[in-house]
Amino acid sequence: MILLLAPLIALAIVAGTALLLRAQRGGQRKLVGSVVETPRLQRQLPSILYFTGETCTICHTAQKPALRTLAAGLGDDVIEIREIDIADEPALARQYLVMSLPTTIVLDAAGQVTDINVGFASGETLRRQLVDAGMPVAA
Amino acid sequence: MARIAFDRSVLKVNQTILMIAIVVGYVVGLAYPAVAWILPVLAVMMLAAVASPALNVPRILYTQVLRPSGIVKPRIVQEDPAPHRFAQLVGGVFLAAASVFVIADLLLAAWVLAWIVATLAFLNFAFNICVGCIMYAQLVRIGVLPLHREPAR
Repeated sequence: MILLLAPLIALAIVAGTALLLRAQRGGQRKLVGSVVETPRLQRQLPSILYFTGETCTICHTAQKPALRTLAAGLGDDVIEIREIDIADEPALARQYLVMSLPTTIVLDAAGQVTDINVGFASGETLRRQLVDAGMPVAA
Repeated sequence: MARIAFDRSVLKVNQTILMIAIVVGYVVGLAYPAVAWILPVLAVMMLAAVASPALNVPRILYTQVLRPSGIVKPRIVQEDPAPHRFAQLVGGVFLAAASVFVIADLLLAAWVLAWIVATLAFLNFAFNICVGCIMYAQLVRIGVLPLHREPAR
């Protein structure tokens, strides 16, 4: 009976779509090592671009508090964190190929992308990535 | 951030109804193809729920029966219900398309669409992966959908 194929075809379609999304994220990873022009990042410091949105629950309940704690521990003169609402700055989200929220992108002092985190990134992960991006270890 | 108190249990009840109805309908439909007519019923249920809270059958079932009897506990979260409503709309449109295939007697296509809806409902139910909400966020991002808030239902 051909109807028996229905769940298999449906699962193949869902899995295929998931793989396409995954491939798209692969394109985002190619940004690592490049410099994307980013307005309002003027200081020569390692920085984090935090992409968020009003509808992103985990952004507000987990990612933002983690960033706030990280910033409080490091100080404003060591790193720069820029929060970007994708509804307010869709062009920037497109430039960085942001497909999911939250996304955090770590830049070195020259503005070069060093790490991209899709989904929640812990304060410890971000701190390690900032050190890799040139943040003084003692900070 | 003007987030809204929102009971996720309504969504869980909706997803449960969808999964059970589609899987049972499909299995029974292998022997009795006329059972595929459950798909238009589900489509109407989904689209009516999007149109008005008064027509939201899963919500009524939850608020009138399941919550008072303690079978399902409230899960209140502070978030925007708009993405979830959009996800329901997407599910309703898929089931409406499935209904067209049922009318045209193209049952394989109808059940493929229904199984996609059931799979996505399962992902949301079990893992809180709301594909419709992801679509909503992407459409807001590229400017197709305006970002606006609606009251919780």
